[in-house]
Amino acid sequence: MAVRHLNVEVRLEPDVAVLDLMGEINGFAEEALNTAYAQADAKDTKTILLNFEGVDYINSTGIALIVGLLAKARASHKRLLACNLSEHYVEIFNITRLSDFMSVFPDEQSAMSETSVS
Amino acid sequence: MTDPKPARTDADLSRTLAEFSVPSEAGNERLAMETVAEAVRDLDIRGESLERLKTAVAEATMNAMEHGNKYRAEVPVEVIVLVEDQDLIVRITDRGSGPPPAQGRDAPNLEAKLEGMQTPRGWGLFLIKSMVDEMSITGDDGHHTIELVVHLGVEGGK
Repeated sequence: MAVRHLNVEVRLEPDVAVLDLMGEINGFAEEALNTAYAQADAKDTKTILLNFEGVDYINSTGIALIVGLLAKARASHKRLLACNLSEHYVEIFNITRLSDFMSVFPDEQSAMSETSVS
Repeated sequence: MTDPKPARTDADLSRTLAEFSVPSEAGNERLAMETVAEAVRDLDIRGESLERLKTAVAEATMNAMEHGNKYRAEVPVEVIVLVEDQDLIVRITDRGSGPPPAQGRDAPNLEAKLEGMQTPRGWGLFLIKSMVDEMSITGDDGHHTIELVVHLGVEGGK
């Protein structure tokens, strides 16, 4: 079974840098994820949104990579949000308590609504 | 990967649904995960219950490939899937030596990880324990086996 390597596109929405994640978030994703995060960080927005719509697999190494992004965001006083996680990965974000530190939204629109009122 | 063997029925009421092995190469945990999912397709494990089982199998296989077999591709991880009474059991065996990892691991300390006081890794066993009804690890001088149990039936399964 071929690994679907992570591809990330960075786009700028009003006040939010969005990372569109496509593929698997596992050990192979580290460089792509960190490079994209650095590009998003350089957009100089207060909020970075991780869009998981194109992600069908996250393993424990991928969870560790997301913890790393969250640590970077906290260090630079930025908000890191997540959207479009499947029901299963919402549960995993709850179990790992990632959702205590990064708000999880069902879709991009609701995440954007939250950022526009806060 | 070796081909899954056809199901067989043992006299002791356990029924083997699949036996296979995967080379210890990064990414093969998904192969194990999908093969187990196919093996249990006729059982009443669907939706979120199936997703939990798949995550537990993937994480256990990753641990076996990484910590047991040190990602030596020529050293296989062996997987057996069986039903005993009202339990689905998945046993995943590597060729690791030394004592098996501690099973009573608490939830990782996310605050400490975010503050850089702990490595961001270390989620595997915690996730496995969270995904199945029972988990145990046994070992001897040349093998470690992690056993995952999901209780079947209307009141079973996480």
